[in-house]
Amino acid sequence: MQIVLARIDNRLIHGQVLESWVPSLKANCIVVANDEVAHAVMQKLLMEAAVPRGIQVIVDTVDAVSELLCSDELGDARVLLLFATAHDARRAVESGLVLKKLNLGNMHAGSGKLQCSCTIFLDNDDVVDLEKIQACGVSVTSQCVPSERETKWSKMVMKRV
Amino acid sequence: MKGLIVAAHANMAEELLHACELIIGPLPRACAISVRRENNIDEIRRLFAASIDTVGAEGAQVLIMTDMLGGTPANIGMSFLEPGRIDLLTGVNLPMLLKFFNSQESLSLDELTEILRAYGQQAIHLASNLLKRQG
Repeated sequence: MQIVLARIDNRLIHGQVLESWVPSLKANCIVVANDEVAHAVMQKLLMEAAVPRGIQVIVDTVDAVSELLCSDELGDARVLLLFATAHDARRAVESGLVLKKLNLGNMHAGSGKLQCSCTIFLDNDDVVDLEKIQACGVSVTSQCVPSERETKWSKMVMKRV
Repeated sequence: MKGLIVAAHANMAEELLHACELIIGPLPRACAISVRRENNIDEIRRLFAASIDTVGAEGAQVLIMTDMLGGTPANIGMSFLEPGRIDLLTGVNLPMLLKFFNSQESLSLDELTEILRAYGQQAIHLASNLLKRQG
C-alpha cells in the first residue's frame, strides 16, 4: 500500500478530490478517517455512490483507519487519505501512522478562525495540531488542486490575511 | 407551483438559469446557488435553507438540480431531502432545466423527477451518430 495523498479537507469526498486528485495521482482507494461519518449510514452510502466504479472507498473512525493503514491489509492500493480536521490528522500521526507529507485542502469550518488563504482558516488549536504533526517529521503543505503551486503552511500562517 | 433550485460550482447555476431565461423568458420560483472555493459549508447550508424558504414558500414542493454527484453542491443539497417534498437531481443540463419549466403542474414531484432524469440523459447526442441515422 502506498499513501499517494494525505489531505485535510473538511468537505471530505467532493469535486476537487474526485475529479482532480484521484485521476492525477491514479489513486484507486479513497480512505475517509472521520468518527462522525463512520457512523452515518446515509452519508457513507452517498459517498460510495459518488465515487467512480473501480475505486475502493473505505470510511471508518480515525482509530480504525490508522490501524488499517499501519497493517498490510490494503495490498498494493494507491490510497488517498482524507481527514476533516487537523486534530484528526494529529490523532492518526500520534497513534503511529507514518506520513511523509500532509496536504491542506479545505479548512474553513468554524467561526473566529484566521484566514491564511482562500480556503484555509486556522485557529490556535489548528496551529498547535499542525506543529505537532510537523514535529513527527511530516511535511505540511497547502495545495487545493494539483495544478496549483504547493505552499509551506508555516509561510501562510506568517502572512495571515 | 413547484420551486426549483439549481446549485453548482462557480457561476454555472446562475448562468444556466440565465440561458434558460434567454430561451423561455422569466422563470418563476427558481433560484441559483453558486458554490465557490471561499464559501464554507455553513454558508452554503444557509444559502440552501434560505432558497428553500423562498422557492418552497407555503409548503411548495422543491426540486434541487446540481452539477455532479459527489460535488459539494450535491453533498450539501442531499442533507435537505424530504421525500415527496424536496428532491435532488444531479447532472443538470439545459434541456433538463427547460423541461422542468415546460412540464405540467399536475405531475407529482416523483413523477416529474423521473421524467426529468430520463429526459436529461436522452438529451445527450453525438452529432456524427445523428448524421449516420439520417443516411
